[in-house]
Amino acid sequence: MTAGTLAMPRRPPIERVPPIASTRLAMIALITTELMLFAALIGMYLVIRLSRPTWPPAGQPRLPLLVTVINSLVLFASVAPVTAALGAIRRGVPQRAARALLLTTALGVTFLVIQGAEWTRLVHHGLTLGSSQYGGAFYLLIGCHAAHVLTAVLWLGTVTALAYRGWWRADAYAGLEMCAIYWYFVAALWAVLFPLVYLY
Amino acid sequence: MTTRLRWSIPLLLSALLVRASAALAQGCAMCGNSFEPNDPTTRAFNSSVLFLMLAPYAIFFTAVACVVLLYRRGMAGRRGIIVPLHRRRASLPVDGPKEVTP
Repeated sequence: MTAGTLAMPRRPPIERVPPIASTRLAMIALITTELMLFAALIGMYLVIRLSRPTWPPAGQPRLPLLVTVINSLVLFASVAPVTAALGAIRRGVPQRAARALLLTTALGVTFLVIQGAEWTRLVHHGLTLGSSQYGGAFYLLIGCHAAHVLTAVLWLGTVTALAYRGWWRADAYAGLEMCAIYWYFVAALWAVLFPLVYLY
Repeated sequence: MTTRLRWSIPLLLSALLVRASAALAQGCAMCGNSFEPNDPTTRAFNSSVLFLMLAPYAIFFTAVACVVLLYRRGMAGRRGIIVPLHRRRASLPVDGPKEVTP
């Protein structure tokens, strides 16, 4: 038996993939901190809301319900295309994913524009940040959510532009996935805030 | 630690909690004295305090559950990897190591 026959074939190196991707862990940590922020804001809103026998207080305008319901449907509908985009990237169809992401971004912008228009109307009716506790709580809570939607829309825009350049592949789409998770979080948060502020 | 001692400590703590007076539960003197017992503001503060007590635990355990679920899914995916043994056997040299039977 020669030395040549004793030489064992080289095994391919074992790829050390962590059971949980670091990006997912980071996103869980981020969303946990965001949830704590919103829990504190909801606690503040509950104190103001429950201490008043009548809501909204006398002399303050009512919140527009119908437009906000339509706006909520726009936001919830935007979850479908972002899910489709994720599926398309996994199946290796990046062009379809880019189109779905563009639709999600458009729906997000629509949500922001409608909400901005409603806020302008409310300000004209006398509901401002300093007009009462009602106005302060409303603008703080809903404004904080709107700031998150704006951040998510900017992120979606970046992800969409990268998708049109062919940046995302079936084996490398962590940035797109994180953006989708953040968008789910923003939509799920609205599912809590809308009944609390507009219906309760 | 004997069994009797091990059981007596939780029982003692439970009895203390049951017999605790309302004065002990009054955290802040200002909050306790500023509002009437049936004041709407008092009730609002109480509800908000309950919510803010529950929220961190709910959020923390949800996050932990997410991490555990992702970890278990990741480990299951790792165990499910099919190692192509036939390729490795084919690449072995003809006079390679043979199985030793006892």
